[in-house]
Amino acid sequence: MLNMKDISKVYRTESVETHALRDFSLHVEEGEFVSVTGPSGSGKTTFLNVAGLLEESSSGIYELDGRDVSSLNDNERSRLRNEKIGFIFQSFNLIPELDIFDNVDVPLRYRGFGNAERKKRIERVIDIVGLGSRIKHLPSQLSGGQQQRVAIARALAGEPRFLLADEPTGNLDSEMAESVMQLLESINAEGTTIVMVTHEPNLAQRARRNIYVRDGQLEEAVPDLQVAAAL
Amino acid sequence: MEIGPIWRTMLRNKSSYVLIALQIAVTMALMVNAIAIIQERTRLMGRPTGIDEDNIFTFNSTGFDPNMDFQALVAEDLDAIRNHPGIDNAVMTNSLPIRNGGWGQQFQTEPGTDVESVGTGIYFVDEHGVDTFGVDLIAGRNFTSTEINWFDPESDDMWPSVVIVSAALAESLFPDISYDEAVGKTAYVNSVEPITIVGIVKTLQASWPSWEHIENASLVPQKRGATSARYVVRTEAGYRDEVIPQIEKMLAESYKGRIIRNSKTMTEVRNDAYASDSAMIKLLFFVVSVLIAITSLGIVGLASFSVTRRTKQIGTRRALGATRPAILRYFLLENFLISSVGVATGAILAVGLNMWMVQTFNLTPLAWYMIPSAMLVLWLVGQLAVYGPARRASFVSPAIATRTV
Ligand SMILES: Nc1ncnc2c1ncn2[C@@H]1O[C@H](COP(=O)(O)OP(=O)(O)O)[C@@H](O)[C@H]1O
Ligand SMILES: [Mg+2]
Repeated sequence: MLNMKDISKVYRTESVETHALRDFSLHVEEGEFVSVTGPSGSGKTTFLNVAGLLEESSSGIYELDGRDVSSLNDNERSRLRNEKIGFIFQSFNLIPELDIFDNVDVPLRYRGFGNAERKKRIERVIDIVGLGSRIKHLPSQLSGGQQQRVAIARALAGEPRFLLADEPTGNLDSEMAESVMQLLESINAEGTTIVMVTHEPNLAQRARRNIYVRDGQLEEAVPDLQVAAAL
Repeated sequence: MEIGPIWRTMLRNKSSYVLIALQIAVTMALMVNAIAIIQERTRLMGRPTGIDEDNIFTFNSTGFDPNMDFQALVAEDLDAIRNHPGIDNAVMTNSLPIRNGGWGQQFQTEPGTDVESVGTGIYFVDEHGVDTFGVDLIAGRNFTSTEINWFDPESDDMWPSVVIVSAALAESLFPDISYDEAVGKTAYVNSVEPITIVGIVKTLQASWPSWEHIENASLVPQKRGATSARYVVRTEAGYRDEVIPQIEKMLAESYKGRIIRNSKTMTEVRNDAYASDSAMIKLLFFVVSVLIAITSLGIVGLASFSVTRRTKQIGTRRALGATRPAILRYFLLENFLISSVGVATGAILAVGLNMWMVQTFNLTPLAWYMIPSAMLVLWLVGQLAVYGPARRASFVSPAIATRTV
């Protein structure tokens, strides 16, 4: 599914060079649920951005679904994001002026689906996240947990193979976090590969595989997540 | 395409878009009507006077010598001018078309004081008048030299018995017949004095450029004056400017008891006649340009602000699969919708304003193509104005989606 080999990412500003990822190699199988933990600034988001084709790596090989993506141009990367990848963000990133229906519709329009197909998909995923009665609401009329569920619906609507979540529960209280986590688990149970960055050890633990990032480098199979999170 | 969600987004943010749409509407209303006025003025300015404008000039001879024999002097002057090299012909008259000042008279087709009459500009000329003016005699005949007399204030029979009229005047006097059939008809001047139409000229404008019946003018075979004469001179093509000082000098030297002054080419007469119209046209062009510039700046400003405000949303859209062209298209489309509301409102305002101006200032109603053309122009202006900010938006990195909170 996802295969990274010796990926590095360097941010250069006028005065500093930040090595956000160094020789980062990771293989994720189809259907896995991987949690990513690590101290703040260790490169988790950078990893997710490279994995999700939001940013290009500085060097290394990245294959997504068996395809080397390093040579793709911007349009091709956009299309691949649209078709294969679903994103879930810490701050939900719903579009405030659009109601729930139109928010979930955003990636489907870029996909070029017809009206009927889009409507069918939107209604299905909004049902999955349990917000069928809120379809005409604006994001501001929903609680944080509900907004994140809309964002998950938006990520699911295109039926991606691969879901990337950057601290999806970071802005939620524990009760809402739990419901979002359960939702992700059920999605994974249906076969969607999930990579989730989180700060919360008890959530990370529930993933089938845990990886730990420190200083832009991967440390797999952290034995004690409690300790890791405290670092 | 994405029109639905863009439109709904705009409806939820009305206040930021309404002002710019209104600005577009007002720009459109003013632009359309300003251009209508420009067109109208240009049309009025473009009407031919009917005379050979390129080769005509005029000047005054004003006598101050109490012993001067005015009639003999005029005869000598005209003789000298007509025989000067480069001169086609010359005549003494009272005015010229569109000179902003001349002689007017009422003509009527029945004698009597309570009879409806038609106004006409009058040029007193001799048998050289038709040729000097260069008017096109399309029916009847020119005056003969025997028909030309000096005006005699002592005589009862003051008005000559023949006249040459413009086709437009013939048609307003005799609306039921064609102008050439007006030759030989009798009209009445000063209510009761009969005059026979002996000739028709195609076009001859009266002396007042803004008179609504400017196309009504007549040539009357008479010489008038006691001390001061206005001469009109037609030169051979291309000789006008070099001949003017020669003629002035020649006449000034031929008789010292007068001064030659106020010489003016017909080109200058025309420029003077329409000076305020030219100024008005320039002003309106300026106003329209400024309006369009301000509106463009408004669009650029609003779009820039909107792109900055929506940076995160743009990044999110990119993360969700929007290509750069899709982002560019989003802002172009949004602008197109704002402009559409603006030009639709503007069309109504423009027509309303025009109807009011038609009533108040006698303006002609808008040509059918004005509204659609103005819409196209403003749509285009909007797209051009928004292109920069939209392009900037398309370069927002998708990484913004995860990088900002
Ligand atoms: N656009 C950027 N320009 C410069 N440095 C950056 C940029 N994005 C991230 N970094 C740096 O890269 C490192 C890794 O950041 P990030 O991947 O966001 O860490 P995490 O998500 O684990 O907190 C940090 O030192 C951060 O400051
Ligand atoms: Mg992060």
